[in-house]
Amino acid sequence: MRPFTALSALCGLFLSASSFVGADSTTSPSRVALPRDFKPPQVFKNANLVRTSNLEKGYLRETVNVVVENVDTQPQSDYYLSFPSDLYDKVGALEVRDKTAPENGRFDVEATEFSPGSDFQYFIVHLPKPLAPSSQITLGISYAVLNSLRPRPAAISQNDRQFLAHSFSAYAPSAYTTVTQKTKLKLPSTSVPDYTTTDLTSGPDPQRQGTTYTYGPYDTANVAPGTFYPINIRYEFTKPVITASLLERDLEVSHWGGNLATEERYWLRNNGSKLTDNFSRVEWTISSYQQLPSSSIRELKYPLKPGSVDPYFTDDIGNVSTSHYRPGKVPNREGSLEIRPRYPIFGSWNYSFRIGWNNDLSAFLRRAVTGADSYVLRVPFIEGPKVAEGIQYEKVVVRVVLPEGARNVQYETLEKSSSNGLPSASQIHSHISSYKTFMDTLGRTTLTLTVEGLTDEARDSQLLLTYDYSLWDSLRKPVTITAGLLTVFVAAWAVGNIDVSIKKR
Amino acid sequence: MSLNEVWEAASASPFYPLIAKDSQLTVGFTLLLAAFLLTGLFGLNRSLLSIASFGVPAALAFGFGAVFMICAVGVYV
Repeated sequence: MRPFTALSALCGLFLSASSFVGADSTTSPSRVALPRDFKPPQVFKNANLVRTSNLEKGYLRETVNVVVENVDTQPQSDYYLSFPSDLYDKVGALEVRDKTAPENGRFDVEATEFSPGSDFQYFIVHLPKPLAPSSQITLGISYAVLNSLRPRPAAISQNDRQFLAHSFSAYAPSAYTTVTQKTKLKLPSTSVPDYTTTDLTSGPDPQRQGTTYTYGPYDTANVAPGTFYPINIRYEFTKPVITASLLERDLEVSHWGGNLATEERYWLRNNGSKLTDNFSRVEWTISSYQQLPSSSIRELKYPLKPGSVDPYFTDDIGNVSTSHYRPGKVPNREGSLEIRPRYPIFGSWNYSFRIGWNNDLSAFLRRAVTGADSYVLRVPFIEGPKVAEGIQYEKVVVRVVLPEGARNVQYETLEKSSSNGLPSASQIHSHISSYKTFMDTLGRTTLTLTVEGLTDEARDSQLLLTYDYSLWDSLRKPVTITAGLLTVFVAAWAVGNIDVSIKKR
Repeated sequence: MSLNEVWEAASASPFYPLIAKDSQLTVGFTLLLAAFLLTGLFGLNRSLLSIASFGVPAALAFGFGAVFMICAVGVYV
């Protein structure tokens, strides 16, 4: 039995030779707890504020450019951004930059604990350099607000036009006194049946120019911060309001196969108007044939990276045959995966499905020059369909499955001089764990990133990741299988050597 | 050094696998066939010498062949 002992010792050596990666490491976004009835100290003044609300897509995208002046006697570095309590949890992809030097990167922004009794909730912007007394800085604040646009009427017929309503305050919510301000609304069409007019200016308010409506400018030096002046606007949006309540995206790296496998699982919902009557297949066929605009999700088009192959589209039932793939060409021409759900998705209807495809790993993985066994991976954070009406993602879980034995995992998202559609790194929940699947002994190192409140503007964002992975780690799979078969051979030899004959010894 | 700089610095060394995707099926099948034949030869004479001469190569061929074959059929491990 000596060979068995030697073999089991050898197997034990194989399995324990490198350090385990199963040690969990988790980072969660932290929230600052503010005292009850907290009011931000009045150390700033907004000299001028311009708010641009973009309603061209199925969610609200706002950009606020504000000239901030320190009116205190001390340098100040914490600027409080205020949001009405009903919108606070719907704000996503918040980014604040110095408008005059956007290339210097985004400012650190911290969320605060939700205070139930308060009308306003706050984000704290930490200025990189304290602002000296009487000096000014121009902040460029951008964010998306999910699920804030309501369909009005809430129920329509199958072929009716759809309208969305947007309510807001003519005075931009701010923790500080604002001297002058105005709000620009960019609408998807000129069909605007209802909108509030005000007498806050001497001229007509709002001023209309094509699809742009401008409220203001208002002199609000004597208006208390947080004053609410309701404005309602209702506009045509005969397109689906596509919402993904959850997107799970898996990226699997295989060194042996030289492959990057991507799979995306969607839980979609249309937030548009519900149907007043039952769905009519006849009406649907006629309107599809005439290519009339519809409030339903008819088709989704996914531009895929050049060189994407083996696409699939399945749902709970199985393969969905109503899809079409036009392969791209390396290096520049993108592929296009066009999928049609099993049924058109009207307001409040749901559909969940999965799609996936493969890519050559060489376009995404490089050997880092910093270390012999170090690799650097660059992959899109999310891809998703590209549609004119946009998509809002309530929750996105990106899982990067690295080869078995990879360790020292570090990641960052690529920052650009303009918004990349992602929140700051401190708002991304990350978790490293181990995932066991085919031919694994230790389990594959897995980095899971969870983000809430994304939109399709994050389509072009990139995730960068480095990890260490030695030759020995890569040989673990074949060597384990080799050791297994060798054990069978030795067992066969050993069993064959046992003398079971009936004779006198 | 930001990770993007690490990425840019490594532009000359993209990762290529040991066996390209197109050859995985051929290599995997050949190795598995070799493993099958060598196992047969070992089965004819199960001695300690056979383990060294047939068993070890068969086990190695099966170990690597299985990895390439599972990749070739689309389960990228």
